[in-house]
Amino acid sequence: MLRDVTFGQYYPGNSFVHKMDARVKLVLVLLYMVGIFFIVSFVGFAFITVFLMTVILVSRVPLKSILKSIKGIIFLLVLTALLNVFFNKGESDPLVSLKITERWSIEIYKEGLIFAAKMLLRLTYLVIGSSILTLTTTPVDLTHAVESLLKPLRIIRFPVHEFALIMSLTLSFIPSLIEETDRIIRAQKARGADFDTGGLIKRAKAFVPILIPLLVGGFRRAEELANAMNSRCYEGATKRTQMRVMKLGWRDAVGLIFVLLFFATIFVVYGMKDAWGAISWLDWLYF
Amino acid sequence: MSKFDKKVNSQQATAVVEAPVNTAIFAYGLNFTYNAKSAFAKHALVDINLTIEQGEFVAVVGHTGSGKTTFVQHLNALIRLQSGQLQILEHNLAAKKPDLKALRQQVGMVFQYPEYQLFADTVLDDVCFGLKNFGVEKEKREEMARDAIELVGLDFAKIKDKSPFDLSGGEKRRVALAGVLAMKPKILVLDEPTAGLDPRGKQEILSLVTELNRTQGVTVIMVSHDMNEVYENANRVVVFRDGAVAHDTTPRELFRMEQEIESMNLDVPAMAQFINELERQGFTIPDSCKTVEEVYNAVLALKGVGNA
Repeated sequence: MLRDVTFGQYYPGNSFVHKMDARVKLVLVLLYMVGIFFIVSFVGFAFITVFLMTVILVSRVPLKSILKSIKGIIFLLVLTALLNVFFNKGESDPLVSLKITERWSIEIYKEGLIFAAKMLLRLTYLVIGSSILTLTTTPVDLTHAVESLLKPLRIIRFPVHEFALIMSLTLSFIPSLIEETDRIIRAQKARGADFDTGGLIKRAKAFVPILIPLLVGGFRRAEELANAMNSRCYEGATKRTQMRVMKLGWRDAVGLIFVLLFFATIFVVYGMKDAWGAISWLDWLYF
Repeated sequence: MSKFDKKVNSQQATAVVEAPVNTAIFAYGLNFTYNAKSAFAKHALVDINLTIEQGEFVAVVGHTGSGKTTFVQHLNALIRLQSGQLQILEHNLAAKKPDLKALRQQVGMVFQYPEYQLFADTVLDDVCFGLKNFGVEKEKREEMARDAIELVGLDFAKIKDKSPFDLSGGEKRRVALAGVLAMKPKILVLDEPTAGLDPRGKQEILSLVTELNRTQGVTVIMVSHDMNEVYENANRVVVFRDGAVAHDTTPRELFRMEQEIESMNLDVPAMAQFINELERQGFTIPDSCKTVEEVYNAVLALKGVGNA
């Protein structure tokens, strides 16, 4: 039952996006994440929708798997949207006004609704974009990419290799921890533990018999792993080579140019906001 | 062999079959599929028909992925019934809302490496966890916990206030076992209870389980990979293969089929091999002989010098 919560599930494939270099993909996703905050209009969102659909089609990952990634944060999305609806004041008259007491009233403005809708789109697209990365890149490749991109930080003695190692160990521990959690839950259920009834405090307390064995088990695994590494004379970054050397190819060039062009347009449109926004036949760009 | 003929024949009508009285476990047409309705669907159990009487000591063996663990988890409703009938003691699991709490109190389940489920500050608290969940009062709880801790061969006064994490591996496992036995289950399900123990620890756990079975009539279902264990302790073996029951017989009968056993990647215990060889040479060894000593006496009796 817990198996369903694995995040960033890799969807095996052989598409253009799958074959791109993980480093390039990582950089592009970072660019995308920044870029999405420069989209100010619904027209812009329409563009980015087309852009995302193109990438998804090229990656041949089923839309269902991508939408699954939103399911996990749906609560957050709804909450953000609601807060934005209620706490944004506009200049025109409120659409809805509900007096609760003399000093408190609920007012909903047109601007609030628009802002909330844009925020909702932005967050959703943020998650979709990053899930395309994790769906098309194996965790191992992703770690290598991070390690490779952080390499310059070695100059300031940042332990890049160790950092990457921590990341990949964390990732590799997740499935086994989930399995262990599953097993502990079953064992405690067999001893009559009840996780589904009672008030909030009782339910929170019911998790103690799961968390403690899980923590103890986590430390045990970590120690075993440390011992195993020591006994194989593991020495960290000194003179280690990698089995798979990452190489840039034509796909990376094509992908890079495509995404860069797209975001260049977005940045230009954003930058020309003051100038073009004043031109009446262009104001649809900024709605 | 008449005891095992009660196993319901699958050719019988598909109508609801009444569970015989006094059975511990009655499964009929039990099917289970993981990830049903998806591309990853895996049939873990296929038409399992099995009746286990109260007081039996049944070993469940089979390859990894043969369905034995899935079956065993049904006995405690950790996996809910998908199709077919399953009656555990008086609980009908095909019913709409079976009383899971009462069921789990009567069916004690010892998982693989049960020491990894310990969590409380003291041994006493941990052993009491199940009792508390099943609503046993405080005074009674301590008494039952004491019985269980002593039953598994630990010194109650010495150990009760210790942290379970300070104990040795063998002691931890016994404390975990006590946590299940404290509820005085009528059916005890053990999933490889001796995995990772030294020979002595293994023997201690096994003799404890055998003792419970013989003196208190606890029905024991034990999953095991160690055929010696199965041979020496169980009085019935159920072999799972590809989600179905491949064999359901006594250990002695099972290990007579040496080739069949080896084709399933299981071992024939040394003692059983020895007896089989003797039988091939034309000697008769009584079915009750299992240990080295018993067989030794039987051989002496054959020569006419023994005390048997």
